[in-house]
Amino acid sequence: MSDDDFLRVTDVSKWYGEEQVLHDVSFEMDRGDVTVLIGPSGSGKSTMLRCVNRLAEAQEGSILLDGEEVLSPDLDVDELRREVGMVFQGFNLFAHLTAVGNVALGPRRVLGLSETEARERAEDQLERVGLADQLDSYPAELSGGQQQRVGIARALAMEPKLMLFDEPTSALDPELIGEVLEVMHGLVDEGMTMLVVTHEMSFARAVADEIVFLDDGRVVERGPPEQLFERPEEERTGRFLERIASHD
Amino acid sequence: MSVAGTLALAAVESLGAAARATAGAPPTGLSTAFVGDAVDWEFVFRNADYLGVGALLTIGLTVASILLGFVVGFPAGAVEVYGDGYLKRAVTVAGIVLRGTPIVVILIVMYFVVGVPQINLGVASISSAMTAGILGLGLRSAAYQSQIFRATLASVDDGQLEAGRSIGLSRFEAVRYVVVPQALRRSIPGFQNEFTIVLKDTSIVFAIGLAELLTRGYDLFSEQTTAVLEVILFISAIYFVLTFTTNRALDRLGSYYAIPEGEST
Ligand SMILES: Nc1ncnc2c1ncn2[C@@H]1O[C@H](COP(=O)(O)OP(=O)(O)O)[C@@H](O)[C@H]1O
Ligand SMILES: [Mg+2]
Repeated sequence: MSDDDFLRVTDVSKWYGEEQVLHDVSFEMDRGDVTVLIGPSGSGKSTMLRCVNRLAEAQEGSILLDGEEVLSPDLDVDELRREVGMVFQGFNLFAHLTAVGNVALGPRRVLGLSETEARERAEDQLERVGLADQLDSYPAELSGGQQQRVGIARALAMEPKLMLFDEPTSALDPELIGEVLEVMHGLVDEGMTMLVVTHEMSFARAVADEIVFLDDGRVVERGPPEQLFERPEEERTGRFLERIASHD
Repeated sequence: MSVAGTLALAAVESLGAAARATAGAPPTGLSTAFVGDAVDWEFVFRNADYLGVGALLTIGLTVASILLGFVVGFPAGAVEVYGDGYLKRAVTVAGIVLRGTPIVVILIVMYFVVGVPQINLGVASISSAMTAGILGLGLRSAAYQSQIFRATLASVDDGQLEAGRSIGLSRFEAVRYVVVPQALRRSIPGFQNEFTIVLKDTSIVFAIGLAELLTRGYDLFSEQTTAVLEVILFISAIYFVLTFTTNRALDRLGSYYAIPEGEST
């Protein structure tokens, strides 16, 4: 662990009412790293991700992003979210806005760009995810894969320094997963720092610098993909990976 | 349903209202009146101006009440969904009281108890009865409209607000730019309903001495009792035109702003 970790999560605990859903979770990332969170359903992956951009509030621990305490009560959460993009499992595109409208809203209303500048930026980002020909389509007119790519473009348009992906391909038909993973591969190549929850193990294996295995809100094991996939130290990790593999 | 059919229905509906209004003193001659009587139609058209003024009053009351209802009811609905503490409780209680009180009572309280003043606008002045009518009908409409907006705001998926916040919009901005535009679209059917109800309920202002369309119609057929059906039909036609055009206009607004849905998924 170095002093200049870009993201350092230390002993984060979270309760929903009486139920503790995160137990002293710790991991860290350097700038440009890709970390993949894996684990069974209900193990706290989404919650961990959402604590990083404060869509959920951790009650204990520390999350340092670029040296700043994310969990500080004085932190400007809107400012934090400007710098941390999020991609949702269910896309959550703004249903009343076109693809361009979805991507331009943040630049327009949060960054204060002019209408034209915001539109230009949105067009650039949509081109980046391969949707230059769907600028004026509404979410309901797009396939799931296209919708998720709009979701990625919407987050990228804020020029974030960290991207959070919460099972970005889980809601997609199998034939549409590839186009989204391709866009994510592109981001990895550009050096984007990414914290990804996914069950796409081949993607994880290919791009992750570190895999963190969560179970019951605890980090059971973490390490580089070769180690975790080939020689898991914990029995639970091995069993989980077998279960995932048998689904493919 | 055909236009003629709708017209007939509207007429029957208004007849019902008139029958209730006249229950205390049933006009004689109803049984002998027949709709084709030229003398009675001539009587109606001779008094068209008189009814026209009533219609203008009805329109004015409706428009002003609906607007006041929106200006007050929309924020009230938003407070019920997003607010908390005393403000939310106060809004909820005010809504329950207003919805639970007969409109006649609200109007009488406004006019005789609160004693709203005459409002001078320079070019024209609004009588204190008119002010009381607008306030009473408007605030009651606000109480109902708040429920339309409460329901439609709450119907927008939480993920929409969350996605808005995830790009750095404040809570207010996310509601304003993401939730409200979707909720307003879903509010149009409820709003059409509310408009029709307010339009018909304007007749209640006779209780504070205002003679709008229906009251004037009643005055007329009390004067010439053979013309009851003719007067009622004439008035119903006016109500019908008002409801029909407004609902059509709101339909157009709805389809103009409808969110396109493709066949692909
Ligand atoms: N908003 C919430 N309120 C109460 N409990 C929640 C909420 N969100 C998640 N949980 C609970 O927290 C635990 C972890 O959930 P989650 O982080 O969604 O897991 P995962 O993403 O790994 O499937 C689960 O037991 C879930 O039921
Ligand atoms: Mg999850």
